[in-house]
Amino acid sequence: MKLQLLLSATAPVIDSMTWTIVFVGIAIVFLALACVYLFFRYFLTFILNFRLKSFARKRGIDPAEMVTAKNMQSGEVNAAIAMALYSYMSELHDVESGVITIRRVSKNYSPWSSKLYNMKNL
Amino acid sequence: MIGLLVIVSLAWTAFVKPEKDREKALAASGTESISTLPQYQPSDPDEAQLAGGLKQFWAYTGFRNATSGNLIMIVVGLIFIFLAIRYEYEPLLLVPIGTGILIGNVPFFSEGGLNLQIGIYQQGSVLNYLYFGVLKGVYPPLIFLGIGAMTDFSSLISNPRLLFLGAAAQIGIFVTFVGALLLGFAGPEAAAIGIIGGADGPTAIFLSSRLANGVNILPDGTTAKNLIGPIAIAAYSYMALVPVIQPPIMRLLTNSKERLIRMKPPRAVTRTEKVLFPIFGLLLTCFISPSALPLLGMLFFGNLLKESGVTRRLAETARTSLIDIVTIMIGLTVGASTQADVFLTRESVMIFGLGACAFAVATMSGVLFAKVMNIFLPEGDKINPLIGNAGVSAVPDSARVSEMEGLREDKTNHLLMHAMGPNVAGVIGSAIAAGILLSYLG
Repeated sequence: MKLQLLLSATAPVIDSMTWTIVFVGIAIVFLALACVYLFFRYFLTFILNFRLKSFARKRGIDPAEMVTAKNMQSGEVNAAIAMALYSYMSELHDVESGVITIRRVSKNYSPWSSKLYNMKNL
Repeated sequence: MIGLLVIVSLAWTAFVKPEKDREKALAASGTESISTLPQYQPSDPDEAQLAGGLKQFWAYTGFRNATSGNLIMIVVGLIFIFLAIRYEYEPLLLVPIGTGILIGNVPFFSEGGLNLQIGIYQQGSVLNYLYFGVLKGVYPPLIFLGIGAMTDFSSLISNPRLLFLGAAAQIGIFVTFVGALLLGFAGPEAAAIGIIGGADGPTAIFLSSRLANGVNILPDGTTAKNLIGPIAIAAYSYMALVPVIQPPIMRLLTNSKERLIRMKPPRAVTRTEKVLFPIFGLLLTCFISPSALPLLGMLFFGNLLKESGVTRRLAETARTSLIDIVTIMIGLTVGASTQADVFLTRESVMIFGLGACAFAVATMSGVLFAKVMNIFLPEGDKINPLIGNAGVSAVPDSARVSEMEGLREDKTNHLLMHAMGPNVAGVIGSAIAAGILLSYLG
């Protein structure tokens, strides 16, 4: 009830100008971003592909084989290929004979490193 | 935190309340000034001088001049700092704003309009000079320059239809504008409040500094209220609360099948496209809404610095040192502008209520528009409506919410890269909306 009274008291502030601002405002936001959409979705793609194809024709390359914005691989695919190559390359190592040997290491006697001598003096 | 609250309560009980009670008693007894009270009259002149000096010192302390409003705001500032440090809610913003609230609400002597050049609203004070950047809208475009220099528009360029989600979320701005008018705010004030729905702090400060700055004269001859502080605090608070506000709305408006939609991975974007985006984005949007030029001009300029590849030093400065310095300035001064006598008003409470509605409506608009777009899109090329919420320009928090909600339904469905499209479109959209409101009501 209180809210109704409040709204009825303030209702005159909502005039035709308010609705003009609201609807024109929303329309302009959509229009501005729609212009950007149309430019990048159609116009720019067309220009870039046209430029690539004319470049290809000059070089004698089949335009269909050129990498364009449409058939360019996604970053995900490139990342997956790069990761696979890295994993393959980093796992490569020397091929060993597989024979396990125990090599005895002979050391010359020295009192400086004599275990027996040191233990005695503890 | 609890310790601090205890200290504040004790300070109130020990120092402020007795003084206030004494003043109340004086007022009740018809005595107007403390100086007129019967006082101890020392016989020794040195003793009298000492007593006078101590009395003057007491009169100038914060304890003597504190009001309950100051203490409430100090508690609010402490909560901001607590949320930023304990839960890491937008710490880069909430720590400067929280500290600013503390600085702005340290009470000082200003009776009889005495200007000691301390407070943010006192001419000639250091804080007042720093506040100039907020009042004249200098800081927001500089923030936009930094945002442009750190934003990658690739996801938007590869899938430009996501721009429409950024546009749809701006409906929240205009709905809140009408709501503010219904609550009795004047047109320019309502527009400044509405922009909270854009979820963009710098844009909110920019528009409120132009429309609700306490200086502009309204058509009825009255002066517009100074709402910069409440609007900025509401915008930044709700931006920090995006992970709390948005998920329930997103779950409510989508079904399980829609939440599981997998979107096509975005294609790679060429360097030429990245360079052309800021140039043509600037020209196309600013020709339609020139009032948004300060914001969009700086946003796209910053992005051109980044993408051109030949101005690395400038781009590096814009996205690191410059934006950091301006963030410190804007956070601190906006926080300090919440001086209790200016901030604790009925209007501030209404602004916070409207701000919550604005965020909710913006999120709903984005999600619902994604569902509408899906009606017209072919199978296999549909949009997951969970990215619709990212149309509000809280970068990258709302995109992160999309990712979290997507993973909640399917642990392998990553939506972050898709959500970044509408998220950056939201930045552009809210700046355009601000420009439109400015051109009508400025």
